[in-house]
Amino acid sequence: MFTRNAFWKFCCGIVIGLAALAFSPLVLAPGRHTPELFGMPRTLWLGILLAFALVAMTLIGGIVHPANDAQRDPSRDGNC
Amino acid sequence: MLSWFLLLVSIYAAGLVAATIGARQQTQSADDFMTAGRDLGILLGSLTVAATLFSTFTLLGMPDFFRTHGVGAWIFLAVSDGALAFTIIWFGVHLRRRAAAEGSFNGLAGLMRSCFGSRWAGLVYLAGVFVFLIPYVAVQIRGVSIFMNAIFPEALPVWGWATLLVAVMLTYSELGGLKAIIYADAIQGMILLAATVTVAYGCIANFGGITELFDQVEARNTALLSVPGPAGLFTTQFLLASFIVIVLVPVTQPQISIRLAIMRNFGAMRRMAVLLGLFAMFVILATVPIGFYGAVHYADSSAAEFLVGTLITDQAPLVAAAVAIGLIAAAISTADSQLFALGAELRSLMAGDEQTVMRRTRLSIFCFAAASWAVALMSSDQLVLLARVSFAGTALMGPFILAGILTRRAPGVEIIVITAIALVVFLASVLGAFPQMIGPLRLDLLLLITLGSVAIVSSVRRGSR
Repeated sequence: MFTRNAFWKFCCGIVIGLAALAFSPLVLAPGRHTPELFGMPRTLWLGILLAFALVAMTLIGGIVHPANDAQRDPSRDGNC
Repeated sequence: MLSWFLLLVSIYAAGLVAATIGARQQTQSADDFMTAGRDLGILLGSLTVAATLFSTFTLLGMPDFFRTHGVGAWIFLAVSDGALAFTIIWFGVHLRRRAAAEGSFNGLAGLMRSCFGSRWAGLVYLAGVFVFLIPYVAVQIRGVSIFMNAIFPEALPVWGWATLLVAVMLTYSELGGLKAIIYADAIQGMILLAATVTVAYGCIANFGGITELFDQVEARNTALLSVPGPAGLFTTQFLLASFIVIVLVPVTQPQISIRLAIMRNFGAMRRMAVLLGLFAMFVILATVPIGFYGAVHYADSSAAEFLVGTLITDQAPLVAAAVAIGLIAAAISTADSQLFALGAELRSLMAGDEQTVMRRTRLSIFCFAAASWAVALMSSDQLVLLARVSFAGTALMGPFILAGILTRRAPGVEIIVITAIALVVFLASVLGAFPQMIGPLRLDLLLLITLGSVAIVSSVRRGSR
């Protein structure tokens, strides 16, 4: 059975993977702007997909984060 | 345009007055004044963090970055901001837990002093944020002052606009405290988003569509459509170093960490992070067509000519007036938060009776504002690059802060010493007294790797004892 902690760590891994992808030659292809999408050059549309994917991971990461359990017990939430 | 500007500025000023009065009525104590009652909700939280993060650097600097350096600007800021949103969740939880364990959070400087068990830890942090945030505040004030002077040359000189901006933000900060700043940020954040999106829509409409926009950019300068851009700025190393320093902003910059600490609970904080990420995406997306509009119509113009032309002259009077207000709002919302955060950091290191501490804190905020005003009159016009230097300088304190917050035992004094040395070396490189490249590596990247390695080794060795 997967715990919240395992899901959270999995999200962290995905975010690191997405960040690594952003700096790979797939996205940062010097001097190349094809293939285009809706007229947008490669670095831009791939970058837009990656940036929104990172925001989506923020949403998912927040949902699966172990602190959600702690929030039901306010003494563990770190509310200061 | 002047009549629209006067109408909108009156509405904006009325909003600031209402925010100040409302905040003043809710402020019962010195702690309320400095921490806004420690009960920040989702919407206010996301708008205040967004307005604090997105400054003139976004509205003026990013379009010019797209115009002169091309699509790599998206990776530079938007991808970094997407990861920054995730960092808020990860770091925010650790910060809030550690702050709760140490008592009450008043500022990172005070927290570092507790975590390291050394007043030097607090002083190094305070010195680092002072040295690297004051120029950033100054750049905000200068950028907008120059812009306003270009729009209304007869009204006020550059120093006059700078004085007016500092006076406005000091007035509501000193009267209403952090809550007034947060309310004002919420107003300013909405103005910023609305103004940027409206101008972006106009720029796309001018070309007839997104495809046509990029066709014309390609015809004008193909190098803008790929990295590293026409001037070769966006190398992988530059973008990677920028990514690290921007992702570390919630960790290192006091105006963000105080907002994370005073969020109502974890649920509010995680939702705030998502809204902030979306806000960032829409604002930065809007700067893409504005920048490429400039690449086609203002390719050979100066940055000031491009910005005044695109944001003011080519717009309908109402939109131009809204942009001018948006720019003022962007500059004020960032600068006031940073100045107030500097005051809060100083307060977190002070001891004594509450009245004396608050009097000194208010005086320090005034002094920080005066210092920023003076630097604003002397600083350069390179908004984005100066902002990046500020981010890089504060990012050097990332490993030191993380070592303090993430380790249970007090970290070693060697982390404080090496962080102080790194700050001095980086400052020397900014002033030209030290090389910016060490072999094939950028100095900021090398310093971050070194500081990170020292923090990890030191923490592991102490943990194993």
